[in-house]
Amino acid sequence: MKLVFALAASTLFGTGAYLLLNRDLVRVVLGIVLISQGATLTLVASGLTRGRAAIYPLRGQVSDPLSQAMALTAIVIGLAVTALLLVLVLRVALEFQSRRLDEVAEEEAARDARLEAEEAADHASEDEAAR
Amino acid sequence: MTAFTLTLVVPWAAGIVLVFCDGRRRTIGWLAVAALLGNLAALIVLATTVLGGEPLRATTGDWPAGVGIALRADALGIVFALVSSFALLAATVHEVLHGVAERVFPGLVALLAAALTGVFLTGDLFNFYVFFELAMAAGYILATYGGTRRELGAALVFTAVNLLGTFVFVLSVAGVYHVTGTLDMTQIAARLDTVNPNAAVLIAVGFFIAFGVKLGLFPFHFWLPTVYTGARPAVAAILSGGLANIGAYGLLRFGAELLPRELELAGTALIVVGCVSIVYGSLLAVSRRTAAETLAYSAIGQVGYILVAIGIGGPVGFAAAVAYSIVNALNKTLLFLTVQMRGALVGGAFVVGAFSLAGVPPASGFIGKLEIFRATADEPALLALILLGSALSFVYIFQIYQYDFWRGERAGPVSSRPQQALIAVVALVVLAAGVWPEPLLAFSRDAADVLVGGAR
Repeated sequence: MKLVFALAASTLFGTGAYLLLNRDLVRVVLGIVLISQGATLTLVASGLTRGRAAIYPLRGQVSDPLSQAMALTAIVIGLAVTALLLVLVLRVALEFQSRRLDEVAEEEAARDARLEAEEAADHASEDEAAR
Repeated sequence: MTAFTLTLVVPWAAGIVLVFCDGRRRTIGWLAVAALLGNLAALIVLATTVLGGEPLRATTGDWPAGVGIALRADALGIVFALVSSFALLAATVHEVLHGVAERVFPGLVALLAAALTGVFLTGDLFNFYVFFELAMAAGYILATYGGTRRELGAALVFTAVNLLGTFVFVLSVAGVYHVTGTLDMTQIAARLDTVNPNAAVLIAVGFFIAFGVKLGLFPFHFWLPTVYTGARPAVAAILSGGLANIGAYGLLRFGAELLPRELELAGTALIVVGCVSIVYGSLLAVSRRTAAETLAYSAIGQVGYILVAIGIGGPVGFAAAVAYSIVNALNKTLLFLTVQMRGALVGGAFVVGAFSLAGVPPASGFIGKLEIFRATADEPALLALILLGSALSFVYIFQIYQYDFWRGERAGPVSSRPQQALIAVVALVVLAAGVWPEPLLAFSRDAADVLVGGAR
């Protein structure tokens, strides 16, 4: 059983990492979601015991409720953060008119280049003034 | 006990209410400042009982121990909570005086204060994760503050990278629970001694990556310059003076208290990584032209010192790490706040911050560096490297002073009087901690005692 969980978690992580390296921002978000699911699965697997559901009144052996509670919390947090991330991507997409990471980065590079060119021009005029 | 409850409840309740109010109105901003002041005051009251005495423990809602949220206030947590709270307060007052631009800012800062206090004062591993994620979520939204392309791009990078960091943290939490069967930090520290060393090393690596990302240490630093230069000055001060403390605290708490054997094993590696951080951050900072960029790269270098001190370990090393973390958080708050300001007092405040960053007396940075030197005294090579780092920090920070204040390249309107007065007050705190260093040193030794006691 542990092997199944380990394989599932590692598949989720691998797929997530692959998507994360993509240029499309939505795929990056999907990658992060998959990785968060992988982490949740690991939390469940950390307290893997056989038994009945831990619902009162307790009868016989119950499975470990703590790891399930942790997984539940992690899922809720993951949901909230994913929503936040999607809104962020939406705002970036609206602002840059693109949802591709390389185009967003290109704009930043262009801005930096412009600033540097201005600075070089400043220096040139200063040098001339000094002469 | 009342103070303990108030530290969390005041900013939390205020945050929840303020998030629904229009933060652009002045009163709302000042209400957030009042909540932060309440948080700071309660922390100070708590500190007077905890420092030099026994740590306090509490379980929320009168639940039996092990069921409710376990809180623990010891010297290490309280020192970090105090510094973060002060940084948030200074940055928020600065922004409210300047005029808040977005409605959620005051509420988020109050929530961030609650989350940070929770992170530093919790005694339960999973609650640490919940508070950690809460603080980060507030940080992600704060990073977009301003809402132009620059801030949005920076926030995207910040969110994506730090989310991955927290997932690595969750993996380590799962690992700890699997091998020890408990989430209480004190019990974990006792039980981790007997577990399989391979598992413990894996867990330790996970924690190191998670907190390394948070601190912006060398191999995990790539997100940091974009974010600190892209964000507004007040937000950069909040992120570097408040939120980044989680990284230093986490390394100390998890490394020195929970996994002392693994920390000892990795001591040399940590020192090497720390040194690379120092050299890399300082060299790149020298090559930058604007204040924000230089400070961003310098942040990478400064955390290197903390890592070196943790790598050396022992009471002296840990005390140095705590002292340097405090001083670094204060410096960063002061310097980032001055980035877009102009005026007579601003120049003076910047010089105090610059002296402190470079480790020149009488500013408090000198005390931080002195502690680091004391910790590294046995190793000449390390000492030389740290001296080189300090020299470089002197060069880059005064380069900025030269550009911005002597040549008057900093454009924009002169900052208002109250804003300048605020900067002067923060500068005075940095100066006072250097002129009268006994409290700072006593706090950091108390904090280090907690850790060394935990190792036994």
